[in-house]
Amino acid sequence: MTDEMDLFAELKGAQPLQPEAYQRARAVLRAAMAEPGTMRVLSATSVEGTSMETTTPVQDKGLTPAAQRRRKIGTPGRVGIGAGVGVAAAAAAIALVLTSSPTGGSVPAVAKAPAARPATAGAPAARSPLVALAAYIKTNAQSTGDAWLVISTQVHGTKTMQVLYTLYTDSGAIYQGYSVNDIEYAIAHHQNQMTSGGYAPLVKAATLAATISPTQGRTTMLKAAGDPLVGLSPAAQKKEWDKEQAAAQVILKEKGSKAKPTPYSPQAVQRHFDNYLWTYSTEALSADGGNTLVRQGVLRLLSTISGVSVAHSTTNGEATLTITAGPEVFGGQGSEVLTVDAKTGMLVKDVSNTPGIPTAYTTYQSSRVRTAHL
Amino acid sequence: MASDAELIRRSLNGDVDAFMGVLDRHEAAVGSYLARRAGRDAAQDLLGEVWVAAFESRRSYDHSYADARPWLYGVALNRLRHYWRSRPAEDLVPDVTGLATGWDPWSAVDLGVDTRAMLRTAMTRLKPEEREVLRLVAWEDLTAADAARALGIPPGTARRLLHQARTALRNAPEVSALLEDRNTKEAHR
Repeated sequence: MTDEMDLFAELKGAQPLQPEAYQRARAVLRAAMAEPGTMRVLSATSVEGTSMETTTPVQDKGLTPAAQRRRKIGTPGRVGIGAGVGVAAAAAAIALVLTSSPTGGSVPAVAKAPAARPATAGAPAARSPLVALAAYIKTNAQSTGDAWLVISTQVHGTKTMQVLYTLYTDSGAIYQGYSVNDIEYAIAHHQNQMTSGGYAPLVKAATLAATISPTQGRTTMLKAAGDPLVGLSPAAQKKEWDKEQAAAQVILKEKGSKAKPTPYSPQAVQRHFDNYLWTYSTEALSADGGNTLVRQGVLRLLSTISGVSVAHSTTNGEATLTITAGPEVFGGQGSEVLTVDAKTGMLVKDVSNTPGIPTAYTTYQSSRVRTAHL
Repeated sequence: MASDAELIRRSLNGDVDAFMGVLDRHEAAVGSYLARRAGRDAAQDLLGEVWVAAFESRRSYDHSYADARPWLYGVALNRLRHYWRSRPAEDLVPDVTGLATGWDPWSAVDLGVDTRAMLRTAMTRLKPEEREVLRLVAWEDLTAADAARALGIPPGTARRLLHQARTALRNAPEVSALLEDRNTKEAHR
């Protein structure tokens, strides 16, 4: 028997949102997360198709560690187990040679070799230029100054979202603000962002990865990231995988998607691990890239990911490495490209591409400074 | 699997991806809710605003509730109200207002007039707060208590409003006619 609630429920129907609308909404949130005090949400859609604009920055002297960590606004991001990470592509092996840099120093360089790199966890990657760079920066620590000053500029589409100043001291402190004056204020008020914060486990894992084996490094980072599958037996992994797939199917059904669940397989788990590893390793790099050990560890971790390719490049006349995480790292769509200095491993640029939403990128200007002489 | 409350707690402790986990679970439901209330085009613009508002107000989340969906509906409703306030008045006129006066529901049923229009007409006679509770329960599958959370009112009040709404709907001539017609047809099958 039909009652008034049944009748009323018939009005429930609504045109489903387009898939890219969910991506856009996430991009809006991630941008707002990057700096809660300076984002203003507009009711109208901007020309870039996003609903946000930058306002005059609020002089928040106490940026939280979380906010600091959110400097990275890459949009491809983590892919849930149920989302069905795409097919991994075997990356070309890359042989290492040492050449002289344009500036005279010895820098690691790369040359492609025909053999394929194993796609297994913790592939040795002994010849990887990333591992070589990690080793290089370990033995060529910067001697000038006592800190890195990094000016990062976030751009979403064609809008500059924010410009952040971050000071990473060699003693391990992190100070941040919207100007050098802000940093001086933060130092004077002991606002060291390393003293607390949710990203500390990731930074610690990256630091450990600098000295332990690649396989151990992967496991350490995945555990720090709270990965639900790492360390489980295959049977337990399958159980967890199936549970996550079922939960994802409920959500996909709500969105009107007919995507089928991805069956459990060691390869699928591997792709899932790679996605987590990229996401959280780059997050650690974003959080504490001024720490030499963190850069070393992250470079070593990225070298183990299938679907990541590395190329020798030049940026503004300086030798750089371009590290590309292809769509297979992000469930089949989107990509992220990191450019790092070929001598220091410091970030130079981070570009995120997700179909349907504007490209997001961050450029980094890094220099060695003396904290006392900012 | 961590509860929404746990994910929000982690988010407050600096785990940025924890809040994205909340989105994973609820974005389809919240997106549909917005689409039902404001149409798809507006919903697509509003969804990002809802996430930002929810993220910025997560400190106020009551951690005694494991499920965040009612809270998110409340955040979404606030954004909708803001959106409606910002719209020109002419855009907010109900599309079926004209059907409410001097309209014979029986002939409407006979003529196969859109059931939706008839129900919407009956809806216009409910109090706004009755409509909100009714929508959350009938469309979003919330309990009256969860609807109360979304609306920030006591559970008892939500139950009373739901009862009033159902009674008013049931007794509305057009709905009464529809129900009788529908149940008669079902009885003869």
